[in-house]
Amino acid sequence: MGLPCGTKNYTYAEDMAIMRTKTHWALLIALLVLLFTAPLYWGNYWLGVANLIGITAIAAIGLSILLGYCGQLSIGHAGFIAVGAYTAAILTNVLELPFLVGLICAGFMAGFIGLIFGIPSLRVKGFYLAIATIAAQFIIIWVINHMEITGGFIGIAVPYASIGGFVFDSEASQFYLIMVIVVMCTFFAKNLMRTRVGRAFVAIRDNDLAAEVMGINLFFYKLLAFFIGCFFAGIAGSLLAHWIGFMNTEQFSLMESILYIGMIIIGGLGTTLGPILGVIFIRLLQQGMMFVAPTIEAAIPALPAGFATGIAPMLFGLIIVLFLVLEPRGLAHRWILFKAAYRLWPFSY
Amino acid sequence: MKGKRLLMVVGVLFLALTVAALPFMGACAPEPTPTPTPTPTPEPTPIPPAAQPLKYGMSICVTGVAAEKGSPMARGKLDAIEYINRELGGVNGHPIQAVWYDNGYDAAKAATIVKKLMDDGALFFTTNSSKMMSVSMEIANRAGFPGIASFSSPVCTNPPKHIYAQMPDYGDDWAAFAGYYMENIWKGTGKPKMAMHLLNNPTGYGSLDAATCLADELGIEIVATEEHTPTTISEMESMTRIKAANPDVLFISSTPAPTAVVIKNAYELGMYPGIVIGCAHASYTKALVDIAGAGIVEGVYGVFPTVNWGDDVPGMAKMEEYCKKLSLRYHGNMDYITSWAEALIGAEILRLALENCGYDVLAKGDATAWECVEKNGIQKLDYDVLGLHGPAKYTPGDNRLDKSVRVFVVKDGVITPVSDWIEAVRIPYENYPDKFPWAVAK
Amino acid sequence: MAEFLQFTVTGITVGMVYALIGLSFALIWKSSGVANLALGGLVLIFSWFTYAMTVQAGLPYWIALPLVILFALAMGWLIERFALRPLIAQPILSLITVTLGIFYFLEGLAVFIWPWMVDALPPVFPPEPFHLGPAVVAQAYVWAAVISLLLFGLLTLYFRYHKMGIAMRATADDQFAVQACGIPVTRIFSTSWMFACVVAAIAGILISWIGGLHFGLVETGLKSFSVVILGGLDSFIGCIIAGPIIGLAENLGGGYLTPLVWGGLKDIIPFIIIIIVLFIKPYGLFGEVRIERI
Repeated sequence: MGLPCGTKNYTYAEDMAIMRTKTHWALLIALLVLLFTAPLYWGNYWLGVANLIGITAIAAIGLSILLGYCGQLSIGHAGFIAVGAYTAAILTNVLELPFLVGLICAGFMAGFIGLIFGIPSLRVKGFYLAIATIAAQFIIIWVINHMEITGGFIGIAVPYASIGGFVFDSEASQFYLIMVIVVMCTFFAKNLMRTRVGRAFVAIRDNDLAAEVMGINLFFYKLLAFFIGCFFAGIAGSLLAHWIGFMNTEQFSLMESILYIGMIIIGGLGTTLGPILGVIFIRLLQQGMMFVAPTIEAAIPALPAGFATGIAPMLFGLIIVLFLVLEPRGLAHRWILFKAAYRLWPFSY
Repeated sequence: MKGKRLLMVVGVLFLALTVAALPFMGACAPEPTPTPTPTPTPEPTPIPPAAQPLKYGMSICVTGVAAEKGSPMARGKLDAIEYINRELGGVNGHPIQAVWYDNGYDAAKAATIVKKLMDDGALFFTTNSSKMMSVSMEIANRAGFPGIASFSSPVCTNPPKHIYAQMPDYGDDWAAFAGYYMENIWKGTGKPKMAMHLLNNPTGYGSLDAATCLADELGIEIVATEEHTPTTISEMESMTRIKAANPDVLFISSTPAPTAVVIKNAYELGMYPGIVIGCAHASYTKALVDIAGAGIVEGVYGVFPTVNWGDDVPGMAKMEEYCKKLSLRYHGNMDYITSWAEALIGAEILRLALENCGYDVLAKGDATAWECVEKNGIQKLDYDVLGLHGPAKYTPGDNRLDKSVRVFVVKDGVITPVSDWIEAVRIPYENYPDKFPWAVAK
Repeated sequence: MAEFLQFTVTGITVGMVYALIGLSFALIWKSSGVANLALGGLVLIFSWFTYAMTVQAGLPYWIALPLVILFALAMGWLIERFALRPLIAQPILSLITVTLGIFYFLEGLAVFIWPWMVDALPPVFPPEPFHLGPAVVAQAYVWAAVISLLLFGLLTLYFRYHKMGIAMRATADDQFAVQACGIPVTRIFSTSWMFACVVAAIAGILISWIGGLHFGLVETGLKSFSVVILGGLDSFIGCIIAGPIIGLAENLGGGYLTPLVWGGLKDIIPFIIIIIVLFIKPYGLFGEVRIERI
């Protein structure tokens, strides 16, 4: 069902290929062309939304590696993004290092902090680990708030990203920067699943005791999953810092972390396309919510107070619930079904 | 199986409809303020929207955790704009078009909303929360898009760029209260001892930063600083420490609920009545009196930057009229006054910009229009806001428009004013670059 | 010394309030293994409903409270029936996310019906605190502690001796076996959700009496996470014991360490405790240790 009729794999490389047929290649190139020519016809606002989606997607891909592939439930992702954002902010603002240094250091810093808070994963699983990561989020935010160099409660400003002499000061230039990194991250994640490390992750997710029995070093691979997932979060944080321009810990609440989990689940666990679809869905839903209140107030001015205020989160919650009830395997599953239907229609029976 | 699914979907939809109908059913139960159905506004001459509108951009947190502030503020601004358009004929004949979006108190949404407002050709934007402004300000500053923060914090206006504060921030609150305390309440000799209890966010720490800068100058000794979360249910532990430091005055900069907890704990520990308690304006509302109990907060001081409902000022009559007509639910809400005043200030800015630049420049809604609005509108502002709060006037080097607050005290469960408008001096945060690196222009 | 006594008294009483919320969480975990992330939203809705009954409808407390209990029962049944029943066999992560969706929904509902969002319940206890030597404690706390213990006692007895309680424990142990015995598992889930909502309602009312009715009720639920982790996610006695421990750690630790370290240490202590507990005793003091086999 995954490949078109008549495609036969004769070599291992063919079997493991991400882009198996010429159609795959053609569609991918078309998508990339479409994506990278977007600034020509999208205004500032939509480019901004696309940038937000891109940044969120990078973090979500990291979380998907951690949660979808390795099965480690982590509800503290916003905290790790904050670590990355603040690292980049301090390095570029206070120490005045170049943007790329800030980016890589943000990734590593977030990765290391993730490593430390991932240590409980060696002893606990499932919801217990989730609570540990929630505690991690609160501790990280608390520490950031009480350090002087991070600007404490007030926050810290972040200059534009710049590589060499080129400053990314327009929405379009940031769009290219972010999309290039998104493509790289997706490529990395997809490839990770073909390697030994990826297979170890999946084995750990499915049954970690059996994996250990088979000789997979749980200690090493679980911590590696945390490192990689939080590295991506750090990169996303750095880009976020340069995109918004002012960092404040109030931007990284527990709700954000939980939203990331929601994105992964709605998108579909265990796939690489899933998180991207989930991110697009949730972010566009949020943008839609922005318009709900003004439209309602303008259309029906005599409504009881609180109607518009209450409707938006209610709709949001209702959509999440409906989604999970009707399609628990996420958007990625729907996409796979769609592809299969496309290939098999008209059904020969 | 299919039938079950259908049943479940129908059930959920039915539930949603029931819930959606609840407020109409709930309207049958008696409510705190009597709410008759608002009388339909008599239709005056309709203003054709295409008649050269001036776009007033707003980013409001109508939903989300801060909706209790955002909702009345949205109505305050929209009602005021309605009033200006209907009765004053807009600004010099041009109607004001309110372009607003709901940021849900979410940082990511706020960032995209500023860009949307810029794309929509708004001439400036306003926010009603310092958190939302702190997210939007860098984006706006980079593009030269002027913004006005109703509730501001020192980082929005220091160093002064394109963001202006409609009202004094929490640092100004502290400065005004401390000054009033030294002049009118402190009767002893030497330096009074002040303890501070702060919310763990810029609201609280804004006051601490001001105290760090000005306490010595004013002759106050800060003996204890404690912080609390917005959801705290007990501050006995920190209040015990404060009690041990034996302060003369306690300043609380927070929101109503935790302030109530702190004051109740002070009462239980026997500290109050005894010491003087002062509150910043974020918590000094009727909600504080309700939650803590009128008996406990009797005699608590506070500062507030706007007048009260029913005060005798020129702008009160129309505001009361429109509030009762369009948003009766929010009559008595202090944030409504703040936003109504903001819309008046916005209209005044547009009037000045229109007179100095002409409509053609403004109609473009791009960087040249924004520069005109800022240089010829905001920076030429000298407006009495019809008495609703202190005068809004721009002085170079200081991006705060209104710098005055009044000191109030709770008497018999009612918040009553005890002072006239006190202007808060500009706090020189940039003199302490290690403590306040954000204040130094780079 | 007076300080020490004050910190201790405050710690124990505040801890009992956390334990009360933790009981609700443990109840659902114990019977169905679902982490109820909607707990904060439930506490909020029930507190506001109490407000609607006592202030808006003007009923006296002795009529309003039973109505609130009925409403809680109804709400628990509704949530279980329409949001959780369809997901019975799905992975646990989907269930947790559904409770998250319910949380958003309840949050929106609370704002929808009561848009002014900050208010207070009519006070029941006089403001004068109890005096225990040099230490003081507000009356609302003492009552909260008493009610916590009462509920704990009732729940333990119920789970030990009542037929339904035993069935709930059996379901938590092995769902398939229970179904083979002919016990309707769906009814058990319903009952556990209904009870948990009642406990959440009582907790909400008590906290509203202490701190006012506002959105912070949602986050008080987070503090209870540290209580259930320390005590064991599925243990009631763990809740009751861990609650005061966390309260004491907060107040004593915060009280004495804050001047030495950083301000606001009290707020982060519960989370540090979580991390430490997960390192040392992952299943909590009284939780059931999961033994896994391949």
